[in-house]
Amino acid sequence: MSGALIHRIRTHNYALPLIICLFFLMTVILPTGSMLTKIDWSKIGSYVSTDLFRESLINSLIVSSISTVITLILATLMAFCVHRTRIKFRYGFSILFTLPMLIPSISIGIGMINLFGDNGIVSKLTGLVPGIYGPLGIILGSVLYCIPVAFLMIGDVLKYTDYGPYEAAKILGISPFKQFLSITLPGLRGTLISACFAVFTLCFTDYGVPLAVGGRFSTLPVYLYRDVIGLLDFSKGAFVGTILLLPAVVAFIIDLARSREQTTNFVKTAFRVSKSKLRDTLAFVFSCLNALFLVLFVGSFVVMSVITKYPIDMSFTLEHIQGVFNRGLLSYFGNSLFIALMTAIFGTVLTYLTAFFTARIESKVVGKVAHLISMLSLAIPGIVLGLSYVILFNGTPIYGTFIILIMVCIIHFFANPYLMAYNAFQKFNRNFEIVGKTLGISSFKIMLRVFIPSTLSTIIKMASYYFMNTMITVSAVAFLFNAMTKPLSMFIADFTGQMMYEAAAVVSIIIFLTNVIVRASSALTAKMLKKKGIG
Amino acid sequence: MKDRLEIKNLSKHFGDKLVLDNLSFHVNSGEFLSILGPSGCGKTTLLRILIGVETCDSGLILKDGQDIAPLTPIERGMGIVFQNYALFPNMTVLGNVMYALKNNKKTRPKARERALDIIERVGLTEHINKRPHKLSGGQQQRVAIARTLAVNPDIVLFDEPMSALDAANRIALRKEFKQIQKEFNITMIYITHDQEEAFAMSDRIMVMSEGHIEQIDTPRNLYQHPCNEYVEEFVGWQLKEKIKSIADTTGMFE
Ligand SMILES: Nc1ncnc2c1ncn2[C@@H]1O[C@H](COP(=O)(O)OP(=O)(O)O)[C@@H](O)[C@H]1O
Ligand SMILES: [Mg+2]
Repeated sequence: MSGALIHRIRTHNYALPLIICLFFLMTVILPTGSMLTKIDWSKIGSYVSTDLFRESLINSLIVSSISTVITLILATLMAFCVHRTRIKFRYGFSILFTLPMLIPSISIGIGMINLFGDNGIVSKLTGLVPGIYGPLGIILGSVLYCIPVAFLMIGDVLKYTDYGPYEAAKILGISPFKQFLSITLPGLRGTLISACFAVFTLCFTDYGVPLAVGGRFSTLPVYLYRDVIGLLDFSKGAFVGTILLLPAVVAFIIDLARSREQTTNFVKTAFRVSKSKLRDTLAFVFSCLNALFLVLFVGSFVVMSVITKYPIDMSFTLEHIQGVFNRGLLSYFGNSLFIALMTAIFGTVLTYLTAFFTARIESKVVGKVAHLISMLSLAIPGIVLGLSYVILFNGTPIYGTFIILIMVCIIHFFANPYLMAYNAFQKFNRNFEIVGKTLGISSFKIMLRVFIPSTLSTIIKMASYYFMNTMITVSAVAFLFNAMTKPLSMFIADFTGQMMYEAAAVVSIIIFLTNVIVRASSALTAKMLKKKGIG
Repeated sequence: MKDRLEIKNLSKHFGDKLVLDNLSFHVNSGEFLSILGPSGCGKTTLLRILIGVETCDSGLILKDGQDIAPLTPIERGMGIVFQNYALFPNMTVLGNVMYALKNNKKTRPKARERALDIIERVGLTEHINKRPHKLSGGQQQRVAIARTLAVNPDIVLFDEPMSALDAANRIALRKEFKQIQKEFNITMIYITHDQEEAFAMSDRIMVMSEGHIEQIDTPRNLYQHPCNEYVEEFVGWQLKEKIKSIADTTGMFE
């Protein structure tokens, strides 16, 4: 063997890339692959000609498109209010606007019933009963469900904009409105396109909102769940799953193309918001209206939980809470906590190691592939991932255990924590590993002793992201749980089936409070670490 | 003086691009050799190959007569210091210098003692418990040097170590580098694109262009007998005026 080859083998660690590749093979490639191969193409004609299928597909396309347009408009306005005005309580508004992220989509649907149902709080206050079951409820719920995602995406761009071009325009005497058209919008265009696909995919594949407020209005995920998987027709299931995957694939390709066009734009001058009384007044009113709605929304769960029977019997009661406990709340809560905790622990370790590998170890091909698959996991909708796990793991020992639930959650939420770690690693000096090698310290030890202590706050953020999202997921676990492993979000589904909205509200609040506690404590810890100069 | 390092017919491609073209040179024991050349001429690549984090396409690297191609970076007995210090941000000055010593069974018992000794010799004793971000650039570079010296290398490679420092710090560090070299009796290979720096510190200077060695000689010979126009241009234009004024007053280059 040549000296160079011996040198290569001695100085490179091949264990980690191998493990990462195997892991992705098992959890991403094989499941989605097996789903695609399950389709019996000779039967496609009969699937497509089914009335219910066609109706569900058209329904899904229509409500998802409408929800996407409304979500983007509202989220853009909200992001502007928070990042481009001088109104008061901007920080508070931004926290409120992301609150819906803390509860499952099925609870959001229930919230719509609490507010706008036949006996809803808003319905009673205004005397209007809009007929929430069906497309209207799904659209309202989907908008609320997706606003945080779009708000954060758009907000990030507005927050990290270089002021330079605006200053130049100002000096040239270009009006704020023209500045908006010629600088802001073009700067936002790419993000808006990405957000558009992300939101559409979320609505198109969400199972929770239509489950709660869909009524007889069938959407594709509901069709998949009720009329396909229920009948164990995996070929048809795989076909519907593939259709659900399509917009996500388009979104993924667009994001990929965009990441190439994006040059690293440094923020040289932080954005300075000019004074404008009219703008700020409008923004404040708009923000307050949204905030009011969100407070009402969250409040409706409290009202439903502790009022005997709104609006007929307005007396205070703990009966609903008691009832939920009697139906085994604690054991489902235990399941959820266990799944979320395990997902947070193992998911954080895996995403961290993967990011360490792709960001810090010089290995061009394997590194790029691993990076791509990590991002791909974001593109696969939970419902499709869950379905593909059913198809691949059905009959294996892990089927029906906690392991498969934890696995599906780790993969479903992989991309974001992975990116957090990846970005943190990118910020470190490129030469650490070389210095380490000349000092006889392995890359792995550098990770343990240098990177982990310096990225503690990122690690906490990653773990809490995993935890909160696992607590609320409906789509990813809907096909995979059983009586023993049922999580809280599916416990809610039991109650909506029986129109027990009070009980559903109690469980929703429990999930909400759990996530509020996790989020607040992770934010506090991160702040504390920052004060100490760590991470 | 015997050869510490001998490089024979070293070549390196990146894709189709020939970055190092058949380089041969030697480095004497205890020598301060500067590698001088414009940005992009292959200096860093050469250094990465010497230290063992990059492989070459062909050629030999002999250290004390032994082929070091199969050796890992630590086994080569070489240390490295970068422009951007690459200090571990979560460790104190002492922690940075001591880390490698603690990591090795042999050096572990005396790690603290040795680290403190080296820190004292680079003049940072009063800062041992500070973390890098509390130190000035010059101080951070001293820590990086101390960290490298701790594992007792025979050769220390520098990749433009002063580019991030201000003029005053550079001049101060120049002297210190030379002093450290004498005190620890190490061979230094010093990459720079700054002619003045190379002339002020080096025993010999290797002038590079686009992957070639143009000339390797003492500063005096380079200045007085540049072997071609490139060398004359490259070392000359900036230095000529300065050296002239020095010569006028001291007669140094008569
Ligand atoms: N990993 C790499 N892949 C491809 N090209 C490289 C790589 N590293 C360096 N190069 C190229 O090799 C040439 C020499 O680079 P380098 O050794 O860094 O020069 P210097 O340190 O003298 O500025 C440059 O043209 C650079 O673009
Ligand atoms: Mg260089």
